[in-house]
Amino acid sequence: MKSTINKLFTLLFAIVIFSGSSFAQEDDQVLKARSGKFALTNAKIFTVTNGVIENGTLLISNGIIEAVGTNVTIPADAEVIDVEGREIYPGMIDSGTTLGLSEIGSISEAQDFREFGALTPQMQALTAVNPNSVAIPVTRVSGVTTVWTMPQGGPLPGTAAAINLFGYTPDQMFAGSKGVVMNFPSTPTGWRARRLTEAQKKERMDRALKTINDAWDKAELYAKIENADDVRAYPEIEALVPVVKGELTLFIEANAAADITAAITWVEDRGYEQVVLTGVAEGWRVADEIAASGLSVITGPVQAIPTRQSDRFDAAYANPAVLQKAGVKVALRTMEAENVRNLPYHAGFAAAYGMGREEALKAITINAAEILGVGDQIGSIEVGKKANVFVATGDPFETATKITDLFIDGYKVPMTSRQIRLYDEFLNRTPSVDKTKPVIDIKKK
Amino acid sequence: MKRLKKLRLQLAVLFMLSMGHVMTFAQSDPTGDSPVTGTFALTNATVITSPGSMLTEATVVVRNGLILNVGQNVNIPANAEVIDATGLYVYPAFIDGMSNTGAERPENPERPRDLFTPDPPNEYAGITPERSVVAQLDASNSSIASMRKTGFAISHTVPYGRMLPGSGSLILLKDADHADEMIMARDVALYAQWVGAPGAYPGNILGMMAKWRNLYRNAELNKQHADMYAENPSGLARPTSSRVSQAFYPVLTKEKPVMFDVSGMLDVRRAMRLQNDLGFTLMVAGVTQAFELVDEFKATGVPVFLSLDLPDEPKEIKSDDKSDEVAALEARRMEFYKKHVGQAGLLAQEGIQFGFSSKGASGGKIMANIRTMIENGLSEDIALAALTTNPAQMLGIDQVTGTVESGKLANLLVSTAPVFEKDAQIKMMFVDGDKYEYDTKDKKEASKATASTGDATGPYAAVLGSWTYTFRTPQGEQTGKMIIKNGAAGLEGVFTSDDGSPDTDMNDVNFRDNELTFNLELDAGGQSILLVVQGTVSGTSYDAQATVEAFNVTLEISATKDEK
Amino acid sequence: MAAVLVAQTPTGDVLIKNGTVLTVTNGTLENTDILVRDGKIRRIGKNLRTPNGVMEVDATGKFVMPGIIDAHSHIAGSAINEGTSQVTAEVSMEDVVDPLDVSIYRALAGGVTSIHLMHGSANVIGGQNETMKLRFGTTDPDDLRFQGAPRTIKFALGENPTRGGRSRGIQPQSRMGVENMLRNAFTQAVEYREEWAAYNANKDPRKVAPEYDLRMQTLVDIMNGDVLVHCHSYRADEIYMLLKVFSDFNIPKITFQHANEAYKVAPELAAFGASASVFADWWAYKLEVYYSTAYNAAILTENGVLTSINSDSGELIRHLFHEAAKTQKYGELTDDQALALITLNPAKQLGIDDRVGSLEEGKDADIAIFDKHPLSVYAIPQMTFVDGVKYFDIENDGDDQRIYINPESSISEMTLYERHNDHRCMEGAFLDMEEYFSIFKK
Repeated sequence: MKSTINKLFTLLFAIVIFSGSSFAQEDDQVLKARSGKFALTNAKIFTVTNGVIENGTLLISNGIIEAVGTNVTIPADAEVIDVEGREIYPGMIDSGTTLGLSEIGSISEAQDFREFGALTPQMQALTAVNPNSVAIPVTRVSGVTTVWTMPQGGPLPGTAAAINLFGYTPDQMFAGSKGVVMNFPSTPTGWRARRLTEAQKKERMDRALKTINDAWDKAELYAKIENADDVRAYPEIEALVPVVKGELTLFIEANAAADITAAITWVEDRGYEQVVLTGVAEGWRVADEIAASGLSVITGPVQAIPTRQSDRFDAAYANPAVLQKAGVKVALRTMEAENVRNLPYHAGFAAAYGMGREEALKAITINAAEILGVGDQIGSIEVGKKANVFVATGDPFETATKITDLFIDGYKVPMTSRQIRLYDEFLNRTPSVDKTKPVIDIKKK
Repeated sequence: MKRLKKLRLQLAVLFMLSMGHVMTFAQSDPTGDSPVTGTFALTNATVITSPGSMLTEATVVVRNGLILNVGQNVNIPANAEVIDATGLYVYPAFIDGMSNTGAERPENPERPRDLFTPDPPNEYAGITPERSVVAQLDASNSSIASMRKTGFAISHTVPYGRMLPGSGSLILLKDADHADEMIMARDVALYAQWVGAPGAYPGNILGMMAKWRNLYRNAELNKQHADMYAENPSGLARPTSSRVSQAFYPVLTKEKPVMFDVSGMLDVRRAMRLQNDLGFTLMVAGVTQAFELVDEFKATGVPVFLSLDLPDEPKEIKSDDKSDEVAALEARRMEFYKKHVGQAGLLAQEGIQFGFSSKGASGGKIMANIRTMIENGLSEDIALAALTTNPAQMLGIDQVTGTVESGKLANLLVSTAPVFEKDAQIKMMFVDGDKYEYDTKDKKEASKATASTGDATGPYAAVLGSWTYTFRTPQGEQTGKMIIKNGAAGLEGVFTSDDGSPDTDMNDVNFRDNELTFNLELDAGGQSILLVVQGTVSGTSYDAQATVEAFNVTLEISATKDEK
Repeated sequence: MAAVLVAQTPTGDVLIKNGTVLTVTNGTLENTDILVRDGKIRRIGKNLRTPNGVMEVDATGKFVMPGIIDAHSHIAGSAINEGTSQVTAEVSMEDVVDPLDVSIYRALAGGVTSIHLMHGSANVIGGQNETMKLRFGTTDPDDLRFQGAPRTIKFALGENPTRGGRSRGIQPQSRMGVENMLRNAFTQAVEYREEWAAYNANKDPRKVAPEYDLRMQTLVDIMNGDVLVHCHSYRADEIYMLLKVFSDFNIPKITFQHANEAYKVAPELAAFGASASVFADWWAYKLEVYYSTAYNAAILTENGVLTSINSDSGELIRHLFHEAAKTQKYGELTDDQALALITLNPAKQLGIDDRVGSLEEGKDADIAIFDKHPLSVYAIPQMTFVDGVKYFDIENDGDDQRIYINPESSISEMTLYERHNDHRCMEGAFLDMEEYFSIFKK
């Protein structure tokens, strides 16, 4: 009896999903996420860390992956979803966005990722995230389940956070890790630098780094004295102390080749252990140095114009592959707010231009998770990890592929967003236009 | 009166009708500046009468502003000051095809209170073709003496301004009490630039191209109307008196050419496109990328004045393990450097006649740049032609100047060595028959001299060194250091910024009569913004205004000199 | 004065053998050859013979499609927007073409052969655009001209012109003002047309001409049907407004550019016969695109509106084939429908579909070859031909494609790509002093 009900359920879902691609909403019916036990059967499962399971079952329960494999016992109270012919992937992770911190680009009141002041590392991206941002459902229905959302601006703009794209408060969305963002100063490169000697260049660099080095010196001092009595509160410096102590990761943004190597030297001089390089647009120029440093890299957007006029047209597309082949651990980012949904396509381009599908997939799943410090929780389909997965009709890097089901934190998230609802409303608008009585009367020649 | 058709005829008439060169000897002069005689004889000199044509052991006789005689056995008048020119080289003095020499930059017009940006007043937009550079000429402007010292006797001086500042005039670079004395020929060309109105229409090249077409077409219609009315006004509407249209009438009839100030190849092509659409007589000057335009120049025959400004030679990174990429990029960049410095030679080779213009070039670098061009394929004869006979012909004054020949203007350059040699120094200049002498040093002394002007007692002592500035911008106050020092070609300086942003070079640094002026070129996301800074130094204070040229907005800068 | 040299269009001959030919108008032809002579497609068929001296390209396993046409581009322009007036019909992008822009080469490397270089969108009535072919390698702007292409002009509605008006203290500062400005301009143009018609008809030998106004004359040309209007617009209500204005002034042809909300008035657009040139998925960068949907192109196509996808970006232009493919994710368009969005449809909107936009005998040999089906994300452009001349070949792709290098430039000069700065439509639009002084506060 139960299996009949399950089959009816499956049928209903199938009708809903495959009825001309419209994820139709009944009048006055609001689609809500559901938690529970789900068994996805007959799937091709891309675990990322343990290969591809050709015809397997994925069991989701209590928010986590309970079982995955070809011989999984399905509990009686599980909702069975037959996804024959489709593929299951870990939810994709975008390692650099301003999603949730920016609603409309041209309206400064709607931007919350940039604060005033030269030194603001204590600004928390997490609490400023708008969990109800229209862009969040738009993003997750494309299979991106987790993003790193980051403050922007001066040398130390704030503390970034990893968020799952489901939840009604930032705490519900919090994916488990944060990090301090640092923008490494740019070395002079243009015509001004022509006439400088190496000593002069170093002197200018030191001057530019002064603000940053002063702050870190203070942080190191603060770390030593913080347990004493009578230590003043100093939020800006206190925010840096966990990095000094090795408890929090520092994410350093550097893009020009000279800046990347300068940043690596700076990290070595200061001796901080948990550091990640971000941006790295010209990483391909200094890939060996980056590999030698042992630092991981978050790079992107892949679909970008090369940094120099003299560069090959595909320099940005090929950048991640060059880094990865040199032995660097690479994660990809879009640097988007409203179009994070294009992450799989950035990965697709990286794959096409040298990285290959497998590595490109890792760059937006397990590598990203590990670099962001949540590698034990998400980024692959393994027992015990959070149930952040999606079901697709094929390769998610291809545009013809449709995402049919989505799970975040074990919740089955409805495949709807404002853009989908607008499609439904306007594909066949009611009323349309009365063709017998033209609204517009034009005396055509 | 019958209209004269050719520019040169017109000028010849003008010249003959002009006051010419009148010496008023019979006056007491307590300064002692007046010369004793207006007749000079340079004896035993090597005289290059015209490019490729040399006389040795020759004498040049100058009288009352004209060259009386040139030759090996010429009669020297009794009242002549005889100058032994043994070992010296006499050349025709140089002619500058386009510059601002002698002109004072006027104040920017005030922004009207209710400026309607789509349709600003012509004066504000910079559309003033009716004006003449004569109104800007100042006989005491220091550029006159400094260009003369570089070897120039005549300059086609064009007015400061924007899109259509007015007409340029030919001036003689001589000491005078009044600008009128310097004018050789008034309003010889309508001067045009690709500089838009400040924050109003036409703001950039798009608007300027269309505006040109509109102005020109309306000038044609207005002229038709005016001509018809002049013949017989009966029954006709009275023509509106538009000074702008009227300024175009001689251009419409091709009596007056348009001189377009253009640098890059795209700018030159735009000027040529306009000429093709509208039909006026065109000259282009200030050309920096002529190497791409050889075919166009040949096909159209448009008179060309190459810029005397050349890019600095790129410095290559000295390193043993230079990457292939770096080497390739440097090689390509050098390739284009070579094109720039070789373009004069290229044009010569292609049989294209050209002159030179100094606008935009730093005075101290002109001769060095010419030498660079000679090293890169330009023959000395053609270099000289481009400075003398070519511009004389292109500007229609070849009957009266450009060579050292009897009957021509006494414009002479007297050099201690062949003029394009590195160590050659100008010992004397004759402009309009007036003699100017200069101290020459031997090589070592000369280089010592430039070094020593860095001392505290030099003319720039008041500004040299380090200043702390405050710059008031809409975003708040910016502070940093302004550091000024002596460079090879004059004053140099740099603006540093306290927040660690890259330094900004100060360009065109000038200090005279306690006025310190310079430009800053800022880079705002790829777009170049020019700040023109002018201010007064009093003691250890400097108060200045920075004008954002593009938008006619002024901001305050003040600085205090740092103690040593 | 001797005439300026007329640029000679280089044309080529080539035989592209054995590829999968995506004709767009006649379906997909497997193992088919294309013979190009003098820059035109001479024959499409199987087992064609290679004439003497004609270069052969082996396209076995590869996909051959018509060169991509970007109906909204700002690359290759020295200036984009004459923003000091709200009506500037008299200016033209043909005066500011910059053939030295490396972006041209990079677009060729993305399979693009023609672009519509557009004036910016700060003005209600902007300047004339220039349809061009990407014949990269020349320093003469005239060499890029698409000979015979109809004249087009840029209009703009919505936040861009109203923001420009607010920053300069002039009209328009509201959508009401935008409509008023349009109607005003056309009304003035009608008067101008009548004035000059009267003058021309006047037989009096002593007649005096009215003032000549290139701006008004251009508006007259629009009303006479000699200039196609492409209007930057977003909101459904302003799109509808323009349809009514054009209806009142008897202008039958209009292409709405961007038109993020065109899907809301798709039936009206179809009824009018208007067309749309849209983004695949850009939205939320301004309030007027907040209510967009990426399904826009699909909805329009399904409702019978001639639709194209454009880039408005020097970055996006390089993968327009990928942007078009998104209509199979956000919608159910077929392969041919998707390909048409970047080939035949923009050609029609620019009035050049008799020459380009599909692979048919007699058309220009503007051809792009890919190693995989162009709608796959893994497709890498291999070769691009314009008029039968190969301008891009990935096997012979030199590193440094610059045509001109400033000798005073630094070799390590770099600019970081930032997508939110990519929208060149806005250039020259406002007097944003803060922006300009941000140099001191990086």
